[in-house]
Amino acid sequence: MKQKISVLMDGELFEDEADSLLGHIKRGSDVHNDWEIYHLIGDVLRQPEHIHCGLSDKVLERMQDEPTVLAPRVRPLKQRMRTIALSAAASLSAVGVVAWMSLQISPEVAPQLAMQQTAFRPASMQIKADSNDYLMAHQEFSPSADMNGGTSYIRTVSYSKDAAQ
Amino acid sequence: MRLQVVFCGLLLAVFANSHAEEIPASFDWLEVVAFAGHQTDYSGVYVYQYDNRVETSSIVHVTQVNGEYEKLESLDGPKREIISHDGKVWDYINHKMVLVGNNVHSGFPSLLPEQLSSLKANYKARMLGVERVAGYNAQVILFQPHDNLRYSHKIWVHTDSGLLLKAAVLGDNNKVAEQYAFTQLQIGGKIDRSWVKECDSAAQEKNMPDDHKDIKPINSGWVADMLPSGFKKTLEIERQMHGRHAPVTQMVFSDGLSSISIFIEPNDRDEDDEDGLSSRGAVNLYHKVLDKNLITVVGEVPPRTVMQVLDSVRYNGK
Repeated sequence: MKQKISVLMDGELFEDEADSLLGHIKRGSDVHNDWEIYHLIGDVLRQPEHIHCGLSDKVLERMQDEPTVLAPRVRPLKQRMRTIALSAAASLSAVGVVAWMSLQISPEVAPQLAMQQTAFRPASMQIKADSNDYLMAHQEFSPSADMNGGTSYIRTVSYSKDAAQ
Repeated sequence: MRLQVVFCGLLLAVFANSHAEEIPASFDWLEVVAFAGHQTDYSGVYVYQYDNRVETSSIVHVTQVNGEYEKLESLDGPKREIISHDGKVWDYINHKMVLVGNNVHSGFPSLLPEQLSSLKANYKARMLGVERVAGYNAQVILFQPHDNLRYSHKIWVHTDSGLLLKAAVLGDNNKVAEQYAFTQLQIGGKIDRSWVKECDSAAQEKNMPDDHKDIKPINSGWVADMLPSGFKKTLEIERQMHGRHAPVTQMVFSDGLSSISIFIEPNDRDEDDEDGLSSRGAVNLYHKVLDKNLITVVGEVPPRTVMQVLDSVRYNGK
């Protein structure tokens, strides 16, 4: 099972297998723990300064501290209106919770996602100094550089600095 | 029940609207920016950040009767001074001006109407409110492409002068691929112009080589079939490049915000590792040997785009 989780995290599991494994993870707490530990290991390897700190527990904790929305009691005659108001309030608070959660989660998750993205990006290699001629030649005739008005040589300074080194 | 659903939907819509302060922006802003960049006198310090590096440079830009003069000086690392005027780029080395480049399309209209329409077809512009940059109020505008073959561009435009105060190129996940921003800027007023005279006298002193001797427009017969939509050819030339014996063919394509250059030259190098992708900031470069030619594609576009373009390059005959 652990083997399978590892394969899934590497994105090498077939779709149907992945589906059944994910279902399994959702149901079984042991498997779920493994899943979390594997991610923790991955996070620490990739980004030791942002060590996983029980984000999901914290979100749950904070959600329990959220004030409950209390609607005032209305007369039974307006039962219909009340249902509407209550459901509206519920959907609003749901939106609120989602918005709040995304605010809470994004600063933590975003750098990790970004890290993974760069890891998977094929162009991790820096342009070599001997290719600077191409960059300068490209810059020289690039009409888009003109968008920056006069400051079209910003990259050129950088490129020619390399050439001088 | 249906009423309920409608009501909730309405509430959600109102909520979403009040949350997003985004108004569709006019592409006219780009014309304002291009115009202001050429016509305004200013001096300041900007930072340019790409990959894990940050570089600081100073810039002075003045407009005289005989054209624009611009001086750039790197403030960190090895000292470099670049002066540009009338499409010529000079390196200032040991109190001597050395001509390093020519820009044939100096005085080129900033933004051709054709490019503007291609921009509208391929990007969505949105106003993102006003922010402060270098002490000035700046209108923030985001240009988001409709496909994933180009990057998003975010610009901060001075609300009074139209000068570009900050610009960022956003890659996948809206991660900043590169950006530059003024940290200090003086617009108009007293600006040191003593170096302009130096530039003029140096230009006259030197027995100027024929401006475009090394560059001539051609019809090479090479084509690229898989350019992203909206990229139009703006240039096709044959040029001399440093360290090459044979002239290099260069084709430039632009969609108005980003551009792609294709270089074609005889492959006379011995190294086998020429194939491959490399990047710097928002610029990606892809090399490949095709028959006996070395093809290089460079552009401020994602890696997948330079690869796609290179793989579609072929000789169509003249």
